Amino acid sequence: MLFNSLDFAIFLPIVFALYWLIPSKNLKVQNLLIVAASYTFYGWWDWRFLALILFSTLVDYIVGLNLKKEKPKSFRLTLLWTSIAVNIGLLVFFKYFNFFLDNFAEAFTFFGGEIQTRSLNIILPVGISFYTFQTLSYTIDIYKRKLEPTTDFIAFAAFVSFFPQLVAGPIERASNLLPQILAPRKFVQSQAVDGLHLIIWGLFKKVVIADSCAVYVEEIFSNYESMNSFTLLLGAFYFAFQIYGDFSGYSDIAIGTARLFGMNLMRNFNFPYFSRDIAEFWRRWHISLSTWFRDYVYIPLGGSRLSRWNGFRNILIVFLVSGFWHGANWTFIFWGALHALFYIPLFLMKRNRRNLDIVALDRVLPNWREFLAMFRTFFLVLIGWIFFRADTIAQAFNYLKGIVSLKFDGFMQYLTIERYAPELLVLITLFIIIEWFIRRSEHPFYGRLRLIKLIGILFLLITQGVYTDAKDFIYFQF
Amino acid sequence: MKKFLIYSLKIVLITFVLLYASDLVYTAIYEHSIPRNKLQYLVKKEQQEYDIAFLGSSRVANHINTQLFDSLSGKKTINLGVEGAGLNDNLLQLKLLLSKNKVKSVYLQLDPNFENVNPSNLGTVESMPFIKNREINTHLQENFEDYWKLNYVPFYRYAINDPKIGFREAIFSAINKKPRIDPSIGYTPKYKSSGKLVGQHLPKTIKNNNPVLDSIEKICARNAVELVYYISPYCSKTKNLNYIEKLKSKIPSIIDLTEGYPDSLFYNCAHLNDTGAGLFTENLYLATKSL
Repeated sequence: MLFNSLDFAIFLPIVFALYWLIPSKNLKVQNLLIVAASYTFYGWWDWRFLALILFSTLVDYIVGLNLKKEKPKSFRLTLLWTSIAVNIGLLVFFKYFNFFLDNFAEAFTFFGGEIQTRSLNIILPVGISFYTFQTLSYTIDIYKRKLEPTTDFIAFAAFVSFFPQLVAGPIERASNLLPQILAPRKFVQSQAVDGLHLIIWGLFKKVVIADSCAVYVEEIFSNYESMNSFTLLLGAFYFAFQIYGDFSGYSDIAIGTARLFGMNLMRNFNFPYFSRDIAEFWRRWHISLSTWFRDYVYIPLGGSRLSRWNGFRNILIVFLVSGFWHGANWTFIFWGALHALFYIPLFLMKRNRRNLDIVALDRVLPNWREFLAMFRTFFLVLIGWIFFRADTIAQAFNYLKGIVSLKFDGFMQYLTIERYAPELLVLITLFIIIEWFIRRSEHPFYGRLRLIKLIGILFLLITQGVYTDAKDFIYFQF
Repeated sequence: MKKFLIYSLKIVLITFVLLYASDLVYTAIYEHSIPRNKLQYLVKKEQQEYDIAFLGSSRVANHINTQLFDSLSGKKTINLGVEGAGLNDNLLQLKLLLSKNKVKSVYLQLDPNFENVNPSNLGTVESMPFIKNREINTHLQENFEDYWKLNYVPFYRYAINDPKIGFREAIFSAINKKPRIDPSIGYTPKYKSSGKLVGQHLPKTIKNNNPVLDSIEKICARNAVELVYYISPYCSKTKNLNYIEKLKSKIPSIIDLTEGYPDSLFYNCAHLNDTGAGLFTENLYLATKSL
């Protein structure tokens, strides 16, 4: 079920009403409803894969309970590795099996051997990368004795499958979400209103910004060989806003929906395109994933504690793994490596924690130094997005070659193909301006002009949204 | 909770008001603007008399130079070819044309459009702002599964057809921006060539019959309109060209005008350029002048 579908528009009010109408707000029944709603939400896409979620839930629930007991360290470690093996095993099989097989065969052929492989026709279960990481955080935290396991299976199942963030995050930590699921919920008016506002703002980002950009991105990247430099540059620019609008829009809807049910999910995006360096970008982009890798990969590897070299190595590992997490393609690994390349100089010069505050916090506009820093960071991110979006690394390099060839004949070549384009640039500019002025908050609907802003965004949502076909969220494929 | 529900309802209400208001504004714009496409032209023009109306897809829009045809024949003609249109869209055009105007003959281009019975997203969509028009309403009801939403959900028809009748087109209509092609003439010339000709595949098999074509025939018969079928050429790179023979055996009265056009006269494999269109128009005139 897509957030931007009529199905969800009917589903959400029904679940919301049932949830708060439960007599005496009975916690067990509320959690059971969450599980039922979440399984319905997921099963709407493909009910067969519900078994996977249930399996993952069962394994980690049992592992969690047994980790609590005073057992020898080796036994606890075995349990932890069981959980890791099951979750990562599922992920590897469904997401990376064909990738490994194909690359193994290619490597074999490269060294003169001959091998026949047959790729399996594997469907990637939606959200597997998200919920496996979420359940892993549970067992790892219990192993480290940072968290008490729950004996309430329904609550745990609700934590794993909580429908607002099941298929594309934010990847919640058990330490944040599980206590909320275990505690009685009270309806808080301001929290719910905020949730509603976030849903509207997220829909705007997805349906107006991301989906409008998608039309052009598809056209330009599919025909990049015949496009001039300006058009190629615009293609990358549009993709930057497509993926941001798409993913942060999804996250906003997820966080907003959770608030309707009295839950607070972690923030996933914090205006990343206003970052002054790559390190700041990674503190603001897909925060739930980057902090997951920080806490469960980077720090266990030693972080930057031991030596500069160790820190360098660990950063490289985290970026490569993070890239690979996005998909079974060398382009994602290259994208990760590229970001490591951008990040490591900052780390070596100890400048990776310089920009921890909000840019131009007490001013309306940034100064020229801040502006240049944001522009430079956005430009680096843009280069990365070309590799992220391209089908192959070679294609990405050819795309970049097309940009630097400085051919400007025809200006915007693709404008005749679909919809409108100069208007889209106006729309994106408006979006950037709105984002700039709300960078201290989550959405624009605050203050005395709240209702007018709301009407304005609803009007844009109606008249500028793309409704020709409901487009999937990009991160579903990850 | 009560306050939240009231606030949510307020948002829902605002959304519906905006939907309804946007629908009203868009519709009013289209109703009061100059026609910017052939469908709108047909809806708005009344009491016109034509000797011949040419119906079909872009292969009509690009191929028939009505001014040339008129000068050769001394007749008054109109080119109603619409890019991407199929027979179903042509049926709607015909209904609209005959509802308020008089036509002696309809020249209908037949080609692989014979295989299709559904309306296209390109042709019929342009009629949706005028959904209250009886002909259009009935046609949409008969052919669109989401007719209910198109007719009753405010702004739905504009939202799902944004590239054709959405914001950009509404703005252009509001300021009465002249269209690229004058719909009262309808000829859309293509110049030179789009590049290397890439052959397209015609269908390998042919349908037994096309019910939409049967409807077109019935309407023409009912209104005493002469119906003439013809087929225009494809470039030499086209695959399965024997489809033309199959079509001729299915519809023996069809006028075959596919021969005598070197590839140099093509803009792309299915469309003649301006020079080719001139030759084609002359040939069509010669082939039909005794009718």
